[in-house]
Amino acid sequence: MKTRSITLCVNGRDYTFEVPHNRTLLQALRDDLKLTDTKYGCGSGECGGCTVLINGKDNINSCLTLAAEMEGKHITTVGGLTKNGQLHPIQQAFVELGAIQCGFCTPGMVMKTASLLAHNPNPSEDDIRRGLEGNICRCTGYENIIRAVQKASQMINASATQCAGGACS
Amino acid sequence: MSDLTYVGKNIPKVDAKEKVTGQAIYAGDLQFPDTLFGKIVRCWEHAHAKVTHLDLSEAAKVPGVVKVLGPKDVTQKLYNCGVLDLLASEEVGHMLGEIEDQRIFTDYVRHQGDAICGIIAETQEIAEAAAAKVIVKYEPLPVYLQPEESAKPDAIQFDARKPGNKAFQLPEQMFPNNVYGWGDVDAEMAKAELIIENTFQLPKVKQCQIEPHAYVALFDQRGRLSIWTSTQMPKLVQNKLARLFEMPLSKLNLIPTTIGGGFGGKLGMIFEPETCAMALAVPGRHVKVQSLREEDWVASESRHPGKYWLKIGFLKDGTPVAADALFTADTGAYFTHATGVPFTTGAWLIGMYKYGAVRYKTNAYYTNKAPSGAFRGYGNPQTNFVLEQTVDQACRQLGIDPVEWRKRWHKQVGDDGWCLGIPYASSSLTECLERGAAKIGWAEKRAKYANQSGPKRRGVGVSVMNHTSGAMPMLLEHTVAKVKMNEDGSAVINVACSDVGAGSHTALTQIAAETLGIPMEDIYIDNNMDSAGFDVGSHASRTAYVGGGAVMKACEDVNRQLIERASTRLGIPVDQLEIKNRQVVSKDGKASMSVKEICNVGVSNYINPANGERNGVPGQIQGYASHFPSHNSPPFGACFAEVEIDIETGQTKVVEMVIAHDIGRAIHPPSVHGQLAGGAQQALGMTLTEEIRYDEKGLIQNNSFFDYKLFGPLDMPKLTTILVENPDPGAPYGLKSVGEAGTVNPVGAVANAVSHALGIMFTEAPITPERILKAVNERGIK
Ligand code: FES
Ligand code: FES
Repeated sequence: MKTRSITLCVNGRDYTFEVPHNRTLLQALRDDLKLTDTKYGCGSGECGGCTVLINGKDNINSCLTLAAEMEGKHITTVGGLTKNGQLHPIQQAFVELGAIQCGFCTPGMVMKTASLLAHNPNPSEDDIRRGLEGNICRCTGYENIIRAVQKASQMINASATQCAGGACS
Repeated sequence: MSDLTYVGKNIPKVDAKEKVTGQAIYAGDLQFPDTLFGKIVRCWEHAHAKVTHLDLSEAAKVPGVVKVLGPKDVTQKLYNCGVLDLLASEEVGHMLGEIEDQRIFTDYVRHQGDAICGIIAETQEIAEAAAAKVIVKYEPLPVYLQPEESAKPDAIQFDARKPGNKAFQLPEQMFPNNVYGWGDVDAEMAKAELIIENTFQLPKVKQCQIEPHAYVALFDQRGRLSIWTSTQMPKLVQNKLARLFEMPLSKLNLIPTTIGGGFGGKLGMIFEPETCAMALAVPGRHVKVQSLREEDWVASESRHPGKYWLKIGFLKDGTPVAADALFTADTGAYFTHATGVPFTTGAWLIGMYKYGAVRYKTNAYYTNKAPSGAFRGYGNPQTNFVLEQTVDQACRQLGIDPVEWRKRWHKQVGDDGWCLGIPYASSSLTECLERGAAKIGWAEKRAKYANQSGPKRRGVGVSVMNHTSGAMPMLLEHTVAKVKMNEDGSAVINVACSDVGAGSHTALTQIAAETLGIPMEDIYIDNNMDSAGFDVGSHASRTAYVGGGAVMKACEDVNRQLIERASTRLGIPVDQLEIKNRQVVSKDGKASMSVKEICNVGVSNYINPANGERNGVPGQIQGYASHFPSHNSPPFGACFAEVEIDIETGQTKVVEMVIAHDIGRAIHPPSVHGQLAGGAQQALGMTLTEEIRYDEKGLIQNNSFFDYKLFGPLDMPKLTTILVENPDPGAPYGLKSVGEAGTVNPVGAVANAVSHALGIMFTEAPITPERILKAVNERGIK
């Protein structure tokens, strides 16, 4: 397998490394960069567990994305939302509203929420349900997750917190 | 309200922050230097076959492959990956007979996904590439997908010890005539004025925990075998592995990782045997096994499918004179849980209503499907589909309101629960039914949807359930808890109890905080298995109940010691002292000593050289409890569901659901609500969309989330959960379980709502659009 050197900007930090052409972003994050906060749930775009944020706004399934295609883009993972140990309002809302059980879907859900709120700061309940479609949770019945997204939207709007994605130098 | 400080409070879960930041470490996240990667090579092309030829030589030649392991390169011992044999007395064990029938790698494929061999390589990619070079030749055998086929006299026998491919029936010694129940069913049934008799078909449903199984194992130079696993049952899996690899428990080091969902899917051993066998083959190096999502459906256990025949006789006034039942369970390719689920499926039937007489029988057969096993509810969702629809059909014919019938005939305090001889000590089911009915608007909706026309039909249904808190007296119930009081007065609770995500570590911390009277922040739950005493593990909705009981007792042991020491120092009798606000105080309020001081001087204890006196009572305080609960405090619950069915497309939309649960006391209310809501998602799937499908060769057709439809955020109904809190007298802080309950009664409630909407009872789950359309067309409903 041919390899090539790529530079990825993840959570505001540049990483330059060698990857085979077919390396997915999920593999690059987890196996090459040892950033295991993004989860493998299915590897085929069906569970949303591997959702990350691109350029602070769009969400992608990192298991379906080639790492090499992500050059020059800002990638945010759930660990990158936490600044100086301070939880992001979305994370805060997930904690407070009991939206986390086993927590395995949580990184993907939080990043999907970040993307949803970046596009639509005041989503209705239906917008939220639609927006989270594609991210499977087997623990919570989604109920508390939906409440958490509503709360996060209020918190963000009230505090004027900036978009989730960090810029690289 | 209650005067409790921590119990019953709506506080964030103890592990929520590490999970929401991605800092929680699941088994697949583990990184060790010099790690090798293990690949379990499975049979994907046959469901029943003999391996006639296995050639690993080409795979072994792939650069980077460290070792290849065939069936003969690993232990030949048979095992049962379930754990029930560790939880039953020797006497009961004898009744069950031979239940060990699995091998690490096999030359006799009994289901698609059986493991053939293992590859250990420097990278995952190399392991995968080498797996593709394994040459296997098979002699295909006839495939049996239903018990009726495998039970035929001329069918190939899976196991010479189980003639007729019959894995299990209720053993005669314990259940005369292989029957569980009471009374003379034939005589009582003869009095019936209405008999409802049906055979229901139950689907094979997957746990679908979102974390695929992953492990790391290491066989080190001291001869210790370490295994990192997200098992639900650390102690029992440690025991199982120690037996399989013939090692003392002290050499089997099980390190539990964060559990990415279990639901029974991580109950007992899953791929731990294969992973450990690989680690034993490469001493000194970590071996990581990351299984694939698509592997999960073929290689691991699911809920038991089967046929459930149920006949209930009623008098015109609704009296259920007799119930007669036979569950023909499909245990799949191996024995696994062929005893447990077939038994409990009848136990939940028995625990529910005051029949005049009841007779439950069950037979479990092998088939060439993936093994059946534990899945949240353990037979109860199956029973709910069958029993609750039968009751509603009777109510319809008798003209009795289904809620009123259930209020009249459900078991009450003093009646025997699921285990005959263990009576209910509490029951709030009537209140659950009343509050749930009021919330959903039962009476109005029942009347409103009685006569409908047009393409969209609505219906509203009810279902009730009973469950258990722990598995006593049928299975061992035991948890050890140790509480170490640090010198600053903070506490570390050492237990083997796992938290599958349901919030049990939070509940245990609350119970400890409440009992010790110290803040939750000052308490840490330590899960180190070398130091932790025994615990059964996370199953049977037991952790808050049995683990909580153990933690409470161990904390009481600490309190006793604190008071004794304060008594010695203050010269006040122990019965005059109590603990309040982290102080041991005399009841007259005149003297006190802080808990911190007592703990501190217990550790930093000095002798004054001048007078030879100590500065306090020496010795670090540790509380201990080895707790065997004396009851199983069964919870009840009532669920109400409203559905809308499009009779032109067959689509069912669950519009609203109300679940009222008899929780005794909610230790952590958000977790209780969360269990009910999450359980509902699984129950709705089983009722409406989820089923593992096989082709005629026994190959799974839908091993992906794309083809195996789970309820998503848009599919879920508007949901209200009501916690009915009347503390159970025998339970720690009065709590009853909720872990499995959520998956149970939405099943019957939705099925009954569907029949209310259409006037058709569906005996086959899931009730898919295809089945609805077929039934609607057959009956000419327009
Ligand atoms: S792991 Fe990418 S969608 Fe499931
Ligand atoms: S919290 Fe477990 S899958 Fe969502």
